[in-house]
Amino acid sequence: MNRSWIYILIGVLFEAAWVIGFKHAADPLAWLATVASLVISFYLIIIASAKLPVGTVYAVYTGLGTAGTVLAEMLLFAEPVQPAKLLLIAMLLAGVIGLKLIGGSSAAKEAEH
Amino acid sequence: MEWVSLFVAGLFEVVGVVGMNRIKRDNDVKAYLLFGIGIVFSFLCLSFAMRSLPMGTAYAIWTGIGTAGGALVGMLFFGESHDWRRILCIGMVLVAAVGLKLIS
Repeated sequence: MNRSWIYILIGVLFEAAWVIGFKHAADPLAWLATVASLVISFYLIIIASAKLPVGTVYAVYTGLGTAGTVLAEMLLFAEPVQPAKLLLIAMLLAGVIGLKLIGGSSAAKEAEH
Repeated sequence: MEWVSLFVAGLFEVVGVVGMNRIKRDNDVKAYLLFGIGIVFSFLCLSFAMRSLPMGTAYAIWTGIGTAGGALVGMLFFGESHDWRRILCIGMVLVAAVGLKLIS
């Protein structure tokens, strides 16, 4: 497994951390940790994109980020499990990942380089 | 109000992405302003929306509007591919986002 994929996996953990912070942070220290997680997750996705195609990195990142967030709210924060909601989130995610992988002109330009 | 805020957060994300593309192309102050204003307001609106919405739903819709909106802007204004599969994906994102709003 190459190093860029490790950056992506660590980045996804920070991604889930800032999303949880946006919902649950209650004091200045928690907000500071939230903003730090946000910056770290962006930094990791940028350095991962230096070696891997941006569309692929973003698709994996959003996919894992969304799955992680939905799991965290059900497992850690007792959000009710609604099958219809999970199906709709899966459909939305399929659309986002499709757009990132099919790409527009930028994907074609990337391939030329 | 939280749904409006979430939608606006997605729109500002598109502004940020347009700014990012212009930084690559023009690299001028206006491009950095677009990018900065876009991401800062996007995160402010998202954090407001997430205070009352479930975080998984809010995060998914925010990413969805940002990505589908970015693709639409790319297709309409920046000459990106009009591939039918891309249009199908945009449709899936929109239908799913509306569905999530309806069942919440």
